[in-house]
Amino acid sequence: MAFNVLIVDDSSSMRAVIKKTIRVSGFNVGQYLEASNGAEALEVLSREWVDLVLTDINMPRMDGLELVREMKNDELFRSIPVVMVTTEGSETRVKESMELGARGYIKKPFKPQQIKAMLGDIMGEGEYESGYYEKDEGCDF
Amino acid sequence: MRADIMKKMKDAISNVLETMFFLPTEILDRDISLQQWLAHEKALLGSQIRFLGSLSGSTYLLVPEEVAGEITANFLGLGEGEVTEEQKKDTVKEAINMIGGQLLSLLDSEGAFRLGIPELMDEGELGVERLGELEGDVLFIETESNHLAAGIRVG
Repeated sequence: MAFNVLIVDDSSSMRAVIKKTIRVSGFNVGQYLEASNGAEALEVLSREWVDLVLTDINMPRMDGLELVREMKNDELFRSIPVVMVTTEGSETRVKESMELGARGYIKKPFKPQQIKAMLGDIMGEGEYESGYYEKDEGCDF
Repeated sequence: MRADIMKKMKDAISNVLETMFFLPTEILDRDISLQQWLAHEKALLGSQIRFLGSLSGSTYLLVPEEVAGEITANFLGLGEGEVTEEQKKDTVKEAINMIGGQLLSLLDSEGAFRLGIPELMDEGELGVERLGELEGDVLFIETESNHLAAGIRVG
């Protein structure tokens, strides 16, 4: 099954890298959609079919935590899984995003194996246990 | 405390540059000042990010244009000739974003810190005189072909 993935990050380079990393990981994607902040992501969600959202936390206009909050308050969007992909690795931020309803958390810098493990597990297509990945395994883009 | 911060800064820089930008790095032990380093560098791109919490301050990254092109090409999986100026700027901002986040999580994984939005340093800020006035600790990072500088100001 192919999933439509919405990537939310204010850096266009990072959106491109996340897209490339997902492609390399082998996770099955139907369509990639992009937004540069939470507000834009809500606009995309309102007009496109999205199966999974990957979002940064720290963005101008509407951050990733506010995006999760808005999605969980909307009956159309609340069941769409959200994974935080961010530099902010503090326990407090992880806890805050999970309490709001995020399904997982990937910290930059990341490797394709981490993305595949997390996404596969969340979408029920995992070949790895959640959180399992070979940390030192290289990747070939 | 200062030695601990610099040790973790080295770890954060190496991890981010090697993992995301495929850039083998070595931190120089030589005792040189930022001004001495700047005397040998021409065109630079610089980025900085502020942080607030149990530790407050800012961290910055200075990248020679040539290295900016190399890390952007590596990051985006493009040939160096295909990289645009905008992509270089975006990549240098993303690099300090990741270095800052990694550094703070190494320093205080349970801390309630907040990272700002990464900013590009403007031409005025990148002038030799202004850069020479930067306070705080600075590290020089050796790549295969060039050097980068990264610094932190706490407090």
